[in-house]
Amino acid sequence: MGYKCPSCGKIWPDTMDLARHVFGTGDQAHKDWVNSKGLNFIELLLIQTMEPGNKGYKTLAELLEKEAEKVD
Amino acid sequence: MEKQLLRITVNNEYHELYVKPKRLLVEVLRDELELTGTKRGCNTGACCACTVLLNGVTVKSCSILAMQADGTEVTTVEGLAEGGKLSPIQRSFLDHGAYQCGFCTSGMLISATALINEKPSPTKKQIKEAIHGNICRCTGYNSIIRAIKAVAEGKYKEEE
Amino acid sequence: MKKYSVINTPIHNIDGIAKITGRAEYAFDIKLPHMLYGKILRSPYPHAKILKINTKKAEGLTGVKAVVTGKDTLGIKQGIWRRFKELCDEEILARSKVRYIGEPVAAVAAVDEDTAEEAMDLIEIEYESLPGVFEPIEAIKEGAPQLHEHAERNINVTRHIEWGDVDEGFKKADHVREDWFRCSSQHHVCMETHNAVASFTPDKKLTVWTSTQSHYYIQVLLSWVLGLRENDVRVISRYTGGGFGSKFELDSAQFCSSLLSMKLFKPVKIILTREEEFMATKRRTPMFYYLRTGVKKDGTFLAKEGRVFTEGGAYTSMGATALYLTGFFQAFPYVWPSYRYDGYRVYTNTAPTSAMRGFGAPQATFCAETQIDLIANDLGIDPIKIRRKNAMYPGYEVPGQATIQSCGLSQCLDKIEKWIKSQGKLPPNRGIGIAAYGFMSGGIFNWFDTPYAFSSAVIQVNIDGKVDLYIGSQDMGQGSNTTMTMICAEELGVQVEDIRLHMGDTESCPVDLGAWGSRETLMQGNAVKMAAAKAKQQIIEYAAAKLSPNIVYDLDIKDRWVHLIARPERGLSYYDVVKEAIRGKDGQPIIARGHYTPHRKGMISPAYSFGVQAVDAEVDPDTGKITLKNCVTAHDCGQVINPLGVKGQLEGAMAMAAGYGYTEDPSMDEGKILNPNLVDYKVLRATEMPETKVIEVETYEPEGPFGAKEAGEGLTNPTAGALGNAVFHATGLSVKNLPITPEKVLEALKEKKKKKKK
Repeated sequence: MGYKCPSCGKIWPDTMDLARHVFGTGDQAHKDWVNSKGLNFIELLLIQTMEPGNKGYKTLAELLEKEAEKVD
Repeated sequence: MEKQLLRITVNNEYHELYVKPKRLLVEVLRDELELTGTKRGCNTGACCACTVLLNGVTVKSCSILAMQADGTEVTTVEGLAEGGKLSPIQRSFLDHGAYQCGFCTSGMLISATALINEKPSPTKKQIKEAIHGNICRCTGYNSIIRAIKAVAEGKYKEEE
Repeated sequence: MKKYSVINTPIHNIDGIAKITGRAEYAFDIKLPHMLYGKILRSPYPHAKILKINTKKAEGLTGVKAVVTGKDTLGIKQGIWRRFKELCDEEILARSKVRYIGEPVAAVAAVDEDTAEEAMDLIEIEYESLPGVFEPIEAIKEGAPQLHEHAERNINVTRHIEWGDVDEGFKKADHVREDWFRCSSQHHVCMETHNAVASFTPDKKLTVWTSTQSHYYIQVLLSWVLGLRENDVRVISRYTGGGFGSKFELDSAQFCSSLLSMKLFKPVKIILTREEEFMATKRRTPMFYYLRTGVKKDGTFLAKEGRVFTEGGAYTSMGATALYLTGFFQAFPYVWPSYRYDGYRVYTNTAPTSAMRGFGAPQATFCAETQIDLIANDLGIDPIKIRRKNAMYPGYEVPGQATIQSCGLSQCLDKIEKWIKSQGKLPPNRGIGIAAYGFMSGGIFNWFDTPYAFSSAVIQVNIDGKVDLYIGSQDMGQGSNTTMTMICAEELGVQVEDIRLHMGDTESCPVDLGAWGSRETLMQGNAVKMAAAKAKQQIIEYAAAKLSPNIVYDLDIKDRWVHLIARPERGLSYYDVVKEAIRGKDGQPIIARGHYTPHRKGMISPAYSFGVQAVDAEVDPDTGKITLKNCVTAHDCGQVINPLGVKGQLEGAMAMAAGYGYTEDPSMDEGKILNPNLVDYKVLRATEMPETKVIEVETYEPEGPFGAKEAGEGLTNPTAGALGNAVFHATGLSVKNLPITPEKVLEALKEKKKKKKK
């Protein structure tokens, strides 16, 4: 099973990989999608570096678990 | 400003040229005389890529006005191999891979030649000091030092 | 050890005669009829709007032929990461805004350089200075001046690498250390500064002679920004006076000279001064590093977490790659059960930071190796033993990232351990420090979006047996011309004198992505080997027909002798076979092609080199001055192709990396480089270079030609770390802020004395 990126359609095996792709691509389209879902793209990135643990990525991964289309 | 007459022997060839007083020796060598073997790596006399022999002594040709070399004998890298026969220093550089990008090589060869002419058997310390001014970014200098040392040890004695 | 006829023998560099007789013609030397000279006017402000530019006075000066500004361009924002449009953010000739001191705003072409310089003073530019931001930590703060519209909080790119569960790992650890580091920038200091001679002719074709590491990239980028057909642009670069990562992106000399030539239909030459080279060309990426590491009390590595901010400078450039590679190589060359890396590249109003030999790995290695020695010291474990315990090994898989095939790391550790023991007890204030590294042999990524194979080669065998070898790779001093000639000669079964090499010209050479990321030996080498094998096969077919051997026999060519492998006395001269083969092919020369593109080789590279370096240094406690006494490196580059070349690369890399470690201090104040000259910016000189010893550890890399891997760039990784560790063992001081200058040593000594008093 995989998860489809809601912004560009690329498929990734799990939500952490998908989160890495969303942050790593970081173009306006991906940023806009994250921001449209009530989170703040930049704030998540900064939380990732300023706070212990994997908080920024985990938060995005949780959102993607809910919102991303699951494909076989 | 009026041009002045420059009389200069370069690599055993006599030239008479009219040059502007501000013209540097390196510019005359590279542009007017089209001897582009001598390079320039900076504008502050710090890298020695432009080193040539002037009356047998090493000088930074970027730090000398052409007119200051009036009446002198200059040797550039093009003058090291006589009639297509490489000098001992040049042969040693080839054998030791003492060059990589090659841009500092002309200056390095001149500094090395001047050293061997002056001190036929220099110590490693003396070799390092002789090329201290020549910046090389590629080789880390040790292959150059080995090449000069080999000549100093007589491994490239000229065949009669 | 396998015996070869050509490779691993001390062949003279094939460009040797040209270089040592002053005959090598660099772009720096090119002179064409009617050629004009150009100069570039650069922004004095780190951040400003361009309100008005008036070039009338400059244009009116006698001898000035043209002045161009941003309005004379197509306004295309270019970048080397062509697949990611938002990362193509650099116009080169700024139109409305400048973002770093030194950014080009105008260019002049005149009859000579002096006139062009004079004209620059007559160009009137009205700027509206904007507040600037110079450190990444400041630039991401809310309210900081924003450099690019699309980059909120000036965040340019981010990268994340993760495997295992780092937080669980820390819970299980007996010992956890946190350290912060600052890795400085570094300047390439190529002896040949950036330059270009551009000639645009009325048939709408552009030829550019330039000093570059990739004529292909320059060809494509120039055609893009100038609106020309790709193959109406020809880039020539026969000799390049040094690159080290500074010369594979489009630069101001290439762009401005082309623009001017397109206006004037005359050749225009622009040579950057050494000052411009410091101020306005790209440089090593400075990094702010946080590492948290957890280990067992026996030294087994459990978890590592890295967070890095890089000072991006004004544009993306190649900075995204440096950001990823530093995170990737932070985990090299050891087995980490869990790892997490977060990297942020932040725009700042400074000259763009990009690629420099090592590409993020020297920074990673400095931080990692310094911390490992500190951990070893905390736990009372020998520095070699702790590394051996966790070393990568052949077949190891970096989870989700790479498969390590050949790996001689353990053997390297053994060799260095032996050497260190042989040194015995050292005098006071003297220490030996080590650092281990691994590095890539070319990258698998295609962010340039090329449709071509990453590397190609074409071979033509002529009637007299002379072989024309056409390659796309660029020799910038690292010796790729010689390496490729040797690979071709070995595979084809001839000698180096039989090969005539063609390179450095997009008009006649096949595509290769260029000399960066240590890719030439493996990638161009594989392409050359493939072409040579195919040419050899065609020759062998004719020989087989002539010799009519028993079908079970194989033929090969060695030392110009086409023979049966099992019965080598039965054979024919290569020269004779070639003559007949060509006659048999309707008089056509033998032609063969080869190519290489990495497929399914992980996230980074098809192969990795490894090594361990030991630096013996003396620290003067009164002045803080460091003197290098000795440097020994055990390294694994697979099969050595060009032994003279490898030794030279090792010594050169060491000198450059040592400079990074303790002498090269790029000072900057509010975006202004304070030491843009070779007196105040100190590269190593001959008198500072220690004795260097190279110990080859032979392995065989299945991905590489004849088992070869890279050797020129990985060797830049360990020296700063080894030097820092030497200082640590000599004095007990750990300086985590590069370069380790005398001032920093004295400051650390003072702090140590203060703590002792307490």
